[in-house]
Amino acid sequence: MTNDKATTQGIQIPWAGKPVRLEEVETQLVRLWRMSANNMRTAQNLNVRTSVLNLVICTPDIQTAQWANAQLRDLSNTHLARVTIIIFDSNDPTSSVSSWATLRCFPVISDVMRHCFEQITLHITGKAISATEQILRPLLKPDLPVYLWWLGDLPSGRQGFHDLVRLSNRVIVDSDRFFSSEEDIHSVVELMDALPNCAISDLNWGRLTAWRELIAQFFDSSELRPYLEGLDNIEIEYATNSISQDGVTETLLNPTNALLLVGWMKRTLGWTIDTSHPYPLSDSANGIYHWQLERLPQAGSLADGDSIKITITPRVHADMAPGTLCLINASSHIQGKKGMFSISRKDDPEHVVTSVILPEGPRPVRTVNMTIYKESRLLHDELEILGHDQLFEEAVHQVEGLL
Amino acid sequence: MPQRSAVEATNPLREGLRIKNSLEPCVMVIFGATGDLTHRKLLPALYNLALEHPLPAGFSVVGFARRPYNDEIFRQQALESVNEFSRQKPVNPQVWESFSSGIHYLQSDFNDPAGYDKLGELLTQLDQERGTSGNRIFYLSTPPSQYPEIIQHLGAAGLNRNRKGWTRIIIEKPFGHDLQSARELNRQVLKVFREEQVYRIDHYLGKETVQNILVFRLANGIFEPVWNRRYVDHVQITVAENIGLEGRGGYYEESGAIRDMIQNHMLQLMTLVAMEPPIAFDADSVRDEKVKVLHALQPLTGRDVTTNTIRGQYGAGWVNGHQVVGYTDEPGVSPVSTTDTYVAIKTFIDNWRWAGVPFYLRTGKHLPKRLTEIAIQFKQAPLMIFKRSETHGQVEPNVLVLRIQPDEGISLKFGAKVPGTDMQIRAVNMDFLYGSSFVRQQPEAYERLILDCMLGDSTLFTRRDEVEAAWTFVQGILDEWKQQPSETILSYESGSWGPQIADEFMWRDGRRWRRP
Repeated sequence: MTNDKATTQGIQIPWAGKPVRLEEVETQLVRLWRMSANNMRTAQNLNVRTSVLNLVICTPDIQTAQWANAQLRDLSNTHLARVTIIIFDSNDPTSSVSSWATLRCFPVISDVMRHCFEQITLHITGKAISATEQILRPLLKPDLPVYLWWLGDLPSGRQGFHDLVRLSNRVIVDSDRFFSSEEDIHSVVELMDALPNCAISDLNWGRLTAWRELIAQFFDSSELRPYLEGLDNIEIEYATNSISQDGVTETLLNPTNALLLVGWMKRTLGWTIDTSHPYPLSDSANGIYHWQLERLPQAGSLADGDSIKITITPRVHADMAPGTLCLINASSHIQGKKGMFSISRKDDPEHVVTSVILPEGPRPVRTVNMTIYKESRLLHDELEILGHDQLFEEAVHQVEGLL
Repeated sequence: MPQRSAVEATNPLREGLRIKNSLEPCVMVIFGATGDLTHRKLLPALYNLALEHPLPAGFSVVGFARRPYNDEIFRQQALESVNEFSRQKPVNPQVWESFSSGIHYLQSDFNDPAGYDKLGELLTQLDQERGTSGNRIFYLSTPPSQYPEIIQHLGAAGLNRNRKGWTRIIIEKPFGHDLQSARELNRQVLKVFREEQVYRIDHYLGKETVQNILVFRLANGIFEPVWNRRYVDHVQITVAENIGLEGRGGYYEESGAIRDMIQNHMLQLMTLVAMEPPIAFDADSVRDEKVKVLHALQPLTGRDVTTNTIRGQYGAGWVNGHQVVGYTDEPGVSPVSTTDTYVAIKTFIDNWRWAGVPFYLRTGKHLPKRLTEIAIQFKQAPLMIFKRSETHGQVEPNVLVLRIQPDEGISLKFGAKVPGTDMQIRAVNMDFLYGSSFVRQQPEAYERLILDCMLGDSTLFTRRDEVEAAWTFVQGILDEWKQQPSETILSYESGSWGPQIADEFMWRDGRRWRRP
């Protein structure tokens, strides 16, 4: 490892704790624990040292790192043993590693008991970036799983990144932050294929859970379940909006959530691409996608046909984050009967309305709360899983196949 | 009738979701819909399920009671219940509006056949309007004396089964007043419903930490080898309440602590601690093993009852800084009442795992604090190499405590050396706190149990033979107590840990109660 400057000269990161030389990080943390124990004795507080996992957060700049640092407050009573925030600064050609260490304690239930975890911050520049794995390895708590939270687009094919992934048990991305959805989905799939031992997960998949639950609920009733095999048209709308800067208007498009939903349905219901059809007619530059899929003919099937038409379109919605799902309409035909199933967000970002229309008449509409969870909550859920999320990984592969 | 389809049996979209099985829309009919349990527990639980949306669209509630309410009044009452008792407050207006549109009320006496006919018509109407497909849950939330009447009328009206969907019945505790009445109630229930339709609820089993007993024992390899007579000295199960009767004098006079706590909650906790690992985690496998424990309980009869049980009744005293009256001065209680408000029992399980290991059960009202815990005390190290003078007598046995409420968690007590030049040993606790390790809010016991009933999973409900086996054990004690003079009910000061003799009861065995 080339290391021109293994100190913290020049950079000020007040929230990161005390600047220390890399080789003194462990000593500094021991010192901090001792001080904390002394405080406990005098203030009669009880500090709890949790030891469940290592969380490594990779960020492209100090601003993002500070945001991630703030999220950790909500995770204090989760499972963290040690957090290492890495800030990559590729603009600085000098090879250097600067480090900070701190102990972060937050009250649990009341101030009498506080949960603490160790936090190390690394600022890595120049060539040292390619040696991140070697820098990080000795800083991990032994015998605990490593979760890598990657903020931003994936650096496809970068060796240093793959080394970091190899060191991890689980890599967490957020496709909501992808600048280029399609490219990044390809990168995620490449990563899964290249490093099958590491589990990959996406915070966006967590955002979809409530939607998947509501769609599944339509077909829970044995009376309505046959309509599942007659699905023939699905329309999905996702929010988009525009920003203007210096007289230039840019439309923010992120169809990843919608794409994942289609990937999930395709995987779960065993649909395949209808190769005989003139589709795809997707206009991905404008965030519009069309596919014609087909289901395998099944003995005893009640469906009136084997084709399924899927459409994803953006809808301008100034009050919602780009990419947020707004509407799912599904229609189904079985034995000459039509069923229509809908989940729509309307104008209220916190609720959706579900409805079912059958030949016998409409079923009562239902309003369901659809809280938009903070990243910290989604991250917390991901930190509870250690192994592969097979369904997610297969859904992403399906999306890649569609693109 | 359309031919059977390939996907009809399961819903593939449920794969990977929290609830793996299909949750079919249904109607829940609550008998005793204006009562306290409905108000405090059932309606808030249903609302929480609607808010977190495991409840299917179309789910409906029918309140069945005598009071002259209509849909609107009942909905208003329900809203007040949710506002007061839901763990998720304040109520979400949009979700409430949607949920409450499925709430209905039917006024009827429980013994009026016409009421059940009207109920049948309403259920058919809801099936059509809300797509509930003939799926019904009847929830008996009335005084137990009305169970037979309601069950018989349900049967007479043909509501006990239907061709379209499933029908289930939830029966609240107490399930019977003694062995004979429990058997009689079972007979009456099973004349109308099949056993697989019957869900006898003990809300203790719906608590996350009670379920965690099984996970703790059966998902961790390190505990099973020491979970037996070779390593365990004894087990203490404590269910302490700091409250008194809270206006339930009439009920409590008839039940007492042994019926209110021991026969159901405490014996259930004991079975979970003592049972053999089931062959699978399904309703019958788990319950088969629990029943074996109850059958293996050494029966207490005659003189054994005198030596192995203590019953007490609280006198006046101070609890939580408030002066409280004695039991016989409570409203609705006879001034010469001999009802037990405190019970301690020592019992043994006659099987290979537990032979010779005493299980001490104690429960009482107006004790110093509200708490439920199971403490497994292990045997001392076989040879103490540290001199008593050096250890200052500080070497205590290891104790594993499973705390059910209020601060749910697990702690293990072990000895550690105090830093310094001498060999001073001190007992320290290694603590796992449920609430601080898992940020997710725990569902209320009723939420879990209602959901399980909707899913047709009866693992956490009590089976007929379990109820009767528990009563068989308790009946021996009740019969002997009936023969004993009232002086054997010992008074204890409210705010204390029970009659003083309860301590002697343990000292005789060379043990002592834990001070939780």
